[in-house]
Parts: sequence; structure tokens; C-alpha cells
Amino acid sequence: MASTVIGAGIIIEGEITTDEDVVVLGTVRGKVSAKEGVTIQQGATVEADVVGAGLTVAGTLTGNVTATDRVDLQAGARVVGNVKAGRVTIADGAQFKGNVDMDV
Amino acid sequence: MASSASSVTVVGRTTRVRGRLSGDGDLQIEGLVIGEIVTSGNVTIEVHGIVGANVRGRRLVVRGAVQGDLLGEEAVVLEDGARVVGDVRAPRVAIAHGALMRGAVQTGDDGAAQPPLVRAQASAKSAPVPARVVAPPAKPVPAGAVKPAPVAKAVSSVASGAPRRPPPPVVPVLKRTKGQVLKKKER
Repeated sequence: MASTVIGAGIIIEGEITTDEDVVVLGTVRGKVSAKEGVTIQQGATVEADVVGAGLTVAGTLTGNVTATDRVDLQAGARVVGNVKAGRVTIADGAQFKGNVDMDV
Repeated sequence: MASSASSVTVVGRTTRVRGRLSGDGDLQIEGLVIGEIVTSGNVTIEVHGIVGANVRGRRLVVRGAVQGDLLGEEAVVLEDGARVVGDVRAPRVAIAHGALMRGAVQTGDDGAAQPPLVRAQASAKSAPVPARVVAPPAKPVPAGAVKPAPVAKAVSSVASGAPRRPPPPVVPVLKRTKGQVLKKKER
């Protein structure tokens, strides 16, 4: 259950910092820092650097990602940017352009 | 499911947003927002919510703290526990028992229609300086015209503000006197 939700019609231009989960259905430009998971839903647009424990992307993300745990790019996701995480999965059907940096 | 869930935006207890929050849909603020809030939907600032921003929305309900102007297209409701420093304008404004606020309030249909703030109008009314414009040169009007202005200002601010609470202490004066004293000593 997410504590912070950015609704579909909402645009945030700035910085979001939180200790909770974040679910984005709308638009975020700037920076997102979460201690828990970040979910970018289908239809959402994020133009921001994202830092969190885990990241799940089904929408559009432009920016660099740093996750302490894992990053999952689901089918339908469009991601441009570098991804640094312990584990990274890219589903069949996800579009991705950037570098992947895993703990090898 | 997605449409109903997506219409509400929640800024959680530990979430801090610095920047501009705009768009369509309802907002529920339980955390901190510094910047600006503009939405066509309703905005609820919950008990633990802290907002340092001008807020514009359809119906604004405040149970937390706001520093900034509240502009409701439909209504502004300050509920018990609300702390607001700023102007409030909406066709309908409700201030419940237990809500604290300092600022100008304007209700009525023209409340939401006018973008400029009430504060400018209030200050213009309280300082009847424009009398100078006529300024007959024969009489010593300037001394008499200038002095009443601060008195009228003080009276009007007391009358319009909450009678129980005195106006906030003017901190900058202390700084100025300190500075002046130091300067004098140095010289």
C-alpha cells in the first residue's frame, strides 16, 4: 500500500523526498528520493533522477536510476538513462537505452 | 480501478515536495509541500500536513498548517486544528472553532474571480496618503497628513485581526537597534 501517490492528472516540478513508497501515475520533473520502492505506472512520465530501494517502471522514465535493491523494467516501459542497482530485470517489450551497472 | 485511484494524489506523512504541484485531480497532503499548489480538484491538508505555498483549488479543506494564500474556486474550510498564516479567498469560507489563522479573508463570488491579493487593497485603504495629491501649498498639511497614517493603520489592523491575539512582535526592529548601537560604538 503506497503512502504517496502522484495522481494521473498531476504534474510535480521539483523534488520529492520520502521514507515511504511512491507511486507515480502522473508527471514528475526534477528528482525523486525514496527510502522504499518507487513505482512508475503505465501512462506516467518521469523526467527525473530516481533514488530508492526498488524501482518498477511500466511508464516513461528519462533520468538516471540508483536503487539499493532492484530495478524492474516491465513490458511497455520506456527508459532512457543509466541504471545502477543490485539486480536489474528488463521484461520483453520494454524499451531501454542506457547503461546497466549491477553488483557483479 | 485505475481511473478512480489515479484521480487522488497523496503526499504521505514522511514525504517532502519542494517545487510546483499542479494539474487536475484531488490532493491529499499529509506531509510537507514547499512551493506552489495549483489544481482544478479539491485539496485537503491533513492534520500532519505542512504547506508553505500558495494553494489554489476548487475546495480547500485545512486541518494542518499553511503559510501562504488559500484561493478556493468553490470554498475554503479551516477545520479544528488548522493553522493558517495568509489570505483566504473563496465564494464560501468557513473557519471552525479551534482553527487559527492570521490574514485577510474575502468571501463572495468575486473572491475567487480576482487574481490579485486582498492584502494590497487593504493596505491601500488603511493608509489614506493619497490626500497629498491635492496638497494646497499655503497650509502646513504635510505634517498633519503624514502623522495620522500609522495610527489609522494600527487601528484598522487591530479591528480586522483577531482581538484576542496581539500582532506579532516586530523582530527586525531589534536587529536594527542592535546594528545601530554597534555602529555607534564602533564609530
